[in-house]
Amino acid sequence: MGVSLTKGANVSLSRTDPNLSKILIGLGWDARSTTGADFDLDASLFMTLADGKVPSDNYFIFYNQLLSPCRSVEHTGDNRTGDGDGDDEAIKVDLSLVPQNITRLVVAVTIHDAEGRNQNFGQVLGAFMRIVNQENDAEIARFDLSEDYSTETAMVFGEVYRHNSEWKFKAVGQGYNGGLYALCSQHGVNIS
Amino acid sequence: MAISLQKGGNVNLSTEAPSMKTMIIGLGWNARASDGAAFDLDASAFLLQESGKVISDAGFIFYNQKTSACGGVVHQGDNTTGEGDGDDEVVKVVPSKLPADIQKVAFAVTIHEAEARRQNFGMVSNAYIRIVDEANGQEIARYDLSEDASVETAMTFGELYRHNGEWKFKAIGQGFQGGLGPLANNYGVSI
Repeated sequence: MGVSLTKGANVSLSRTDPNLSKILIGLGWDARSTTGADFDLDASLFMTLADGKVPSDNYFIFYNQLLSPCRSVEHTGDNRTGDGDGDDEAIKVDLSLVPQNITRLVVAVTIHDAEGRNQNFGQVLGAFMRIVNQENDAEIARFDLSEDYSTETAMVFGEVYRHNSEWKFKAVGQGYNGGLYALCSQHGVNIS
Repeated sequence: MAISLQKGGNVNLSTEAPSMKTMIIGLGWNARASDGAAFDLDASAFLLQESGKVISDAGFIFYNQKTSACGGVVHQGDNTTGEGDGDDEVVKVVPSKLPADIQKVAFAVTIHEAEARRQNFGMVSNAYIRIVDEANGQEIARYDLSEDASVETAMTFGELYRHNGEWKFKAIGQGFQGGLGPLANNYGVSI
């Protein structure tokens, strides 16, 4: 299944069926074979209002908060090593259940304890993030984290957003200095 | 001006040195200043398929098997102390000679007799890997390992690999506790 979206491009998800918009955001990587601390990549998602901030901390979906209040976004759990083929972490989204005031879902990937472990995406083998339209199993976008984001430790993968009553996905693919903490601050999430 | 790579970083050699035909992969380290057995670092190269494994043990190039079957990777010989400025061990690579099914060449360094001499990379200073264009002596990229030295005794310094039809180099700096055995096994070589 090829990548059809390049960085910066966007696509309409609800074009074929405005009512059914189930997507899966998948994160995968190879478990470490060399000596050293495991590579622990984490997928997360910020459900934001028009101002780009979450309505409350409950709208930050990550390994310690797996289900959104509206139950539209579900994180399938933390994978701390990358063991297993295919997607190692996944976030499922049912767009038809997302509350009206939520206009953007910002998807990020970070490396746990990147600074302490002195790690970046380039050191990980086969790291990728992708989004799949579950309605037709089409892979909408995939970014190769190990190759193209090699010196980064945190990244905004993309945004699922409302536009003129449609849901669209925009491939962002930007590294984020400051990691998860900075991402949270930017989106109005308080983390201690 | 050579590109200085950090661990995990990669560089496009086809872009940075489009006319480079023969690459000199140079490995260097400082000879031991303190008392004790000399640091004898050995460079090696693994010619890898897409799977990350060698086709056969002939794909493991080191001081006792210096030339690959295709002639594209040639080890220039063993330096047992690190004496001398500049590169202490060199592997010459002519990418155009590598067969199409060789997707990557991994460059590793191991410490000879590490266990007996009780040595590890943390004790070696100024270890680096660099790529030089043989035609004009120009250094294209370098990865200095000194910051990342550790308790390992066998390490993949970096990797030359194909990506979208071009040659790239990635700074790896990751090792194996247990030495050459586990490292070679990782690439499918039985020693």
